[in-house]
Amino acid sequence: MAAACGRLVPRGAGIALPGRCFSLSGYRVSSGEKPPKFQPPPKPVIIDRKTRKEESRFLSPEFIPPRGRKDPLKYYIERKDMIQRRKVFNIPEFYVGSVLAVTTANPYASDKSNRFVGICIQRGGKGLGATFVLRNVIEDQGVEICYDLYSPRIQAIEVLKLEKRLDENLMYLRDALPEYSTFDVNMKPVPRMGHEEIPVNKVQVRMKPKPWSKRWERPKYNIKGIKFELPEHKMQAAQKWSQPWLEFDMLREYDTSKIEEKIRKELSEELGK
Amino acid sequence: MRLSVAAAISHGRVYRRLGLSPRSRLDLLRNLVTALVRYERIETPWARADEMRGYAERLIDYAKRGDRDERAMRMADFWLTEKDLIHKLFKVLAPRFQTHPGSYTRLLQIPNRDGLDRAKMAVIELKGNPLPPLVRPRRDSDKTLLNQLLKGYRQDARPRGTPV
Repeated sequence: MAAACGRLVPRGAGIALPGRCFSLSGYRVSSGEKPPKFQPPPKPVIIDRKTRKEESRFLSPEFIPPRGRKDPLKYYIERKDMIQRRKVFNIPEFYVGSVLAVTTANPYASDKSNRFVGICIQRGGKGLGATFVLRNVIEDQGVEICYDLYSPRIQAIEVLKLEKRLDENLMYLRDALPEYSTFDVNMKPVPRMGHEEIPVNKVQVRMKPKPWSKRWERPKYNIKGIKFELPEHKMQAAQKWSQPWLEFDMLREYDTSKIEEKIRKELSEELGK
Repeated sequence: MRLSVAAAISHGRVYRRLGLSPRSRLDLLRNLVTALVRYERIETPWARADEMRGYAERLIDYAKRGDRDERAMRMADFWLTEKDLIHKLFKVLAPRFQTHPGSYTRLLQIPNRDGLDRAKMAVIELKGNPLPPLVRPRRDSDKTLLNQLLKGYRQDARPRGTPV
């Protein structure tokens, strides 16, 4: 631009030439050329790779076969049936700590269905027998219902709030203050700002006074989500049951990465059809 | 109402009960793994060698990850009580087995121990060790029927020299 302006007067140079004053902005009228054709800026290319990655990274835990001397044929057949059910009925992605609403068929109810809202405290079982336990406190009474994921009686599973907690098993909510297990039955689903990381709720739950159903302070449960208000000597005494050699026991480790990859590929092939 | 599995049934249990307690079992196996890494061939009761085999092979798998790996170093630090062997593990054994995908040890049974207990003994060694081989592969002798027939076939197949 500066070169095309012919004789250039440096701005702010302090030299005031009489008359001549080129403007460096805009097009050059003085040279007599046509103004260049308007080029629109290039359209931004949105590569939506994130969606694909996030979806494919989640594999429901009941697909991973457990260790043991079992025939893999059994798990293969079960997986085929699970895929068949998933094609017909949508089982959403959820974790322990998410709030779900489940509608089941009930022949004795007035409108033939039953809706229950609760927080998922445990996901157990492998294959078709996979279950999840929902907990809620209704009219000051704690209620836990264990549902089969692949039961044909389930008409809808809706994730109201998708989040994780610090532990895989929230059975300690039974001994926690009831406010941590109460969820409004008519809760509106919390909209998820699509395709970010699953939020981890780092809440430290306060407990009712002892005795508890299990001694949650012992290291075998390895619970991070409780705010222990026990005296220090009790916490030290609980550490007596710790087994620090267990983390170095290499034969107990179960490396599922290769199995998971195979199952993911199989799933994506089958569900894509 | 039986609340727990009867003490005598151990269906599906994979770990043998050695030593005084689970901690003691791991310590025993740890000493054996250290000795194996140091001497590359050791003679122990067969049960201990069999338990130790899995741990030794997993330790080498961890070592293959390289010594930059935090977890590999912690494992090696726990399993090798003599700390100069950590260097040998990462610098000598890991490169030796880099190309092999699995089975780095050989377990062979030997005659029972001479003492009062007559325990079933075994020799466990790392493959590729510099010691003389335990098993010499023997070729069949030339006098067996099959070898004689093959020798005759080879002679007949060879082109004969010009008859005079």
